Amino acid sequence: MRKEFDFRSILRNNAVTIMFVVLCIICLCYSGQTVAYVMFELFGRLSRNAFLVLALILPIVAGMGINFAMTIGAMAAQIAALWVVEWGVGGLGGFGVAALMTVPIAAFFGFLIGKLQNKMKGQEMIGGLILGYFANGLYQLLFLFVFGNLIPLKAPGLVIKGSTGVANTIDLSTERGFKYALDGIWRLPFGTALYIVCGALVVAMAVMFILKKIKLNKLIITAVAAAAACLLYQIPAVAKLFSMVNIPMVTFMVVGLLCLFNVGIMKTRLGQQFRAVGQNRTVANASGINVDRTRLIAVMISTVLAGWGQLIFVQNMGSFQTYGAHEQVGLYAGAAILVGGASIRKANNKQAILGCILFHLLFIMAPSAGKNLFGDAAIGEYFRVFISYGVIALALVMHAWSGIQKRKKAKAAAE
Amino acid sequence: MTNNKIRKMLAIVACVLALVLFAVGLINLPKRGSESGLKVLENYRIQAILKHAADAAGETPAAYAEKDTPALRTVTASYMDALSEFERLDNEARERYREEHYAEAEAALEEKHRKMSEAGQDIPDNYTVEVDMSGYEAPAEVKAAEVKEGEAYDVLRNALAAIYPSLDAEKGEAMRDGFRKMLYQPDDGFAEQYDRYREVSGAKGTFSAFLIRHADDIVFAGFALLVVAAMLLYSEWLVKKLGIPRVIIGLFFILLCFMTLWCDLSLPTLLSNTVVRMGMNAVMVLAMVPGIQCGISLNLGLPIGLVAGLIGGLLTIEFGIPGWGGFLFAIAVGVAIAAVCGYLYAQLLNRLKGEEMSVTTYVGFSIVSLMCIAWLVLPFTSLKLRWPLGTGLRNTIGLDSGNFRHILNNFASFKIGKFVVPTGLLLFMILSCFLVWLFSRSKTGVAMQAVGNNPRFAEAAGINVNKMRIIGTVLSTVLGAVGILVYSQSYGFMQLYTAPRQMGFIAASAILIGGATTSRCKISHVLIGTFLFQGVLTLGMPVANVLVPGSTISETLRILISNGIILYALTKSGGASRA
Repeated sequence: MRKEFDFRSILRNNAVTIMFVVLCIICLCYSGQTVAYVMFELFGRLSRNAFLVLALILPIVAGMGINFAMTIGAMAAQIAALWVVEWGVGGLGGFGVAALMTVPIAAFFGFLIGKLQNKMKGQEMIGGLILGYFANGLYQLLFLFVFGNLIPLKAPGLVIKGSTGVANTIDLSTERGFKYALDGIWRLPFGTALYIVCGALVVAMAVMFILKKIKLNKLIITAVAAAAACLLYQIPAVAKLFSMVNIPMVTFMVVGLLCLFNVGIMKTRLGQQFRAVGQNRTVANASGINVDRTRLIAVMISTVLAGWGQLIFVQNMGSFQTYGAHEQVGLYAGAAILVGGASIRKANNKQAILGCILFHLLFIMAPSAGKNLFGDAAIGEYFRVFISYGVIALALVMHAWSGIQKRKKAKAAAE
Repeated sequence: MTNNKIRKMLAIVACVLALVLFAVGLINLPKRGSESGLKVLENYRIQAILKHAADAAGETPAAYAEKDTPALRTVTASYMDALSEFERLDNEARERYREEHYAEAEAALEEKHRKMSEAGQDIPDNYTVEVDMSGYEAPAEVKAAEVKEGEAYDVLRNALAAIYPSLDAEKGEAMRDGFRKMLYQPDDGFAEQYDRYREVSGAKGTFSAFLIRHADDIVFAGFALLVVAAMLLYSEWLVKKLGIPRVIIGLFFILLCFMTLWCDLSLPTLLSNTVVRMGMNAVMVLAMVPGIQCGISLNLGLPIGLVAGLIGGLLTIEFGIPGWGGFLFAIAVGVAIAAVCGYLYAQLLNRLKGEEMSVTTYVGFSIVSLMCIAWLVLPFTSLKLRWPLGTGLRNTIGLDSGNFRHILNNFASFKIGKFVVPTGLLLFMILSCFLVWLFSRSKTGVAMQAVGNNPRFAEAAGINVNKMRIIGTVLSTVLGAVGILVYSQSYGFMQLYTAPRQMGFIAASAILIGGATTSRCKISHVLIGTFLFQGVLTLGMPVANVLVPGSTISETLRILISNGIILYALTKSGGASRA
């Protein structure tokens, strides 16, 4: 079947993404930042945030919308990070211990989230948002009154004398912390990284072809694209754009593994159940799928992944605000995935990565563009917060709208 | 034994214990004023005096048992009389002076704030008017009393010098101020004196003295046990009637009331604050009512109305309209803007039936952050509103008597003891509630509720569903605008930027605490919910500060309660089925 090329429907279906591309171009024109700097910032932000955005995909597929309760996963990660610093397990070992510790904590939290969200079907997103706020209250109780008071902390800098509870900032750049534990393992300049990635991609595709998993034309397209990218990079002007970029290979590999996981799990039985539940709970239930259990698993996986994502985030930042680092995680990740063209019912890796790139491009450039256009950097700051909320509001409105239109059409057809 | 029987047994035990406590407390309470109570106080007072004098003289304290002579007691008693007479007169005179000069001081402070704001400084969030006492001169009767007090003091010092030889006139004079403070403070009761003397003397307490000191606490504990007994007996009925969260929060409120009594905090003052905060929040909570009644469930997009109200308030200050005129102008402008925005907002919601909650939340958030940009660029010129250096409006805008600060609070307010009744605020709250109630009884109101209860039935009955939803949403938004102005005049500040973001949640949780669900509510839910919620917060803060000094636990409490109750309401709003 030949697809009809309908310009208007493409425009309508990708309105948010297109709007964002336009906004990014406008910001780039007015921000006055060099492309090289923007690229440098962008790759840094991608390595920090991509994992978090990818963690949102499973609950969306399972029909639970954007998991705003992922902030709770981030809290679990921060609890783990606090104890790793307290024990003084520095470096990569510390990161590993924190990641391991996050699993049971985040899984337990995810279990509770899932249990609660199963009681408010259809209201999962608002429920998750408010659950995140509620959990923030408990988190404050834990960090203000339990840690450092009831359970003493010995590591220097964790507790400040004269104030109650854990210090406002937890520094990971000392030898007790795990700053750059993952990023610092293997860093390469952009060019080398590009060659390696292109080479690996072509080899992987070739192996797949030999195993007869893909068709020849796909292999050729990949090979040509890789070659083109490498050739393009030979142009000095292009290479100069990426001159400041340094790629933390391991971090991006982890992100790549998560992408593979997201694809792979959809091919399993469990993945099919996610999809079935997401499309129609009643039908899924009738066909013998335990709907509540499936949703529970989706949220638990997402919460654990969010915890790991937050660990990747803080190891890159080198420190985190004890009482604030988790608060905006759900908002920014949710907005990013929607920018990439996902809806609250459909999402995939490509949309997550594209959204992450566009959203953070705007984040990098908005303040300085705001300053140049209006003479005030604060306008750009507020603008990006507005964009984050606005994108989510818009996505919700569009989703609700299309649902109602569909129902109307169905009704009209029935009559 | 069944669960029920165990509960009954426990209730009986609690009742018996309560009776015992009442008996002990009520026997001991009158002793405070009687001879045995005075004797206890006098014992500790002598010990405190001996310790204090020893410290001043730099000698080791004498053994209390030997030195406590009848002569010393007489001298002390006559000094106490002279001292309390003088202090009483002096405090009265000072209070008179303060009242006479209060208006002057207030004007001076406002002038200072005006200058501060012109210089671009932030005005502190909570300030009190301090009267400058340097011009105070004691009247003749106070002076006479002071001379008498001085004479009595000399006699006492001589008696003490007999015990501590090194306590000469100079040292005696040096310790005099501390002495006065230790022996007498305004509003002294038995408990305060008892605590102070024991702290100074470090004397060991006796059990009977302890009983007298804590007689009131024991009586309160008795009451608390009675409440526990009642809870045990009627728990099932209560839970059925009110639902678990309300029972928990109600009990928590009662517990906090007892805690304030046990911590010797002033319950009337705190309850008075609670009433003020109830009044200042009630109209915002009331804004939830039309929303729930017309079927858009909790209007978490309330910030739209709040922002409209804030614009009204800003315009009042910009034009410098004083007093009631300014307040009414602010309300009028706020209502006008809110009505227009509410209408547009309702149009949006009418296209999204059934998905209102999450959409309203994020639309509200978006509006707040959009307004953050607006606050930066709107062309206001008044220096009360703008930063003198830099761009945009201030974060918090202080209201003063030239605007509408406390205009409702102070209207015909009066005091009963320590309990201040903010008449104007309460009247406004009651009036608003009455109007909303009246509306819900009107033909339109009934139709609107029919839409909220069952849209299909309403449509079949010939009611225009969309129109009714528009009316409800507009009304809710308008009440939000009025609500934020009432809130601001009572708080004394208008908060811009991100401050309105969470207020929709606070209002929503208050009405849910009052007993509303996401689809049904009454005016009584507004009043009960606001009182309970604000009561827990107002009482919680000082109690928490006694238990864990310098903590922010009260803020944590607010987060937990307000979000917890919304979560509970969401779980009750349906969707528990497997499919």
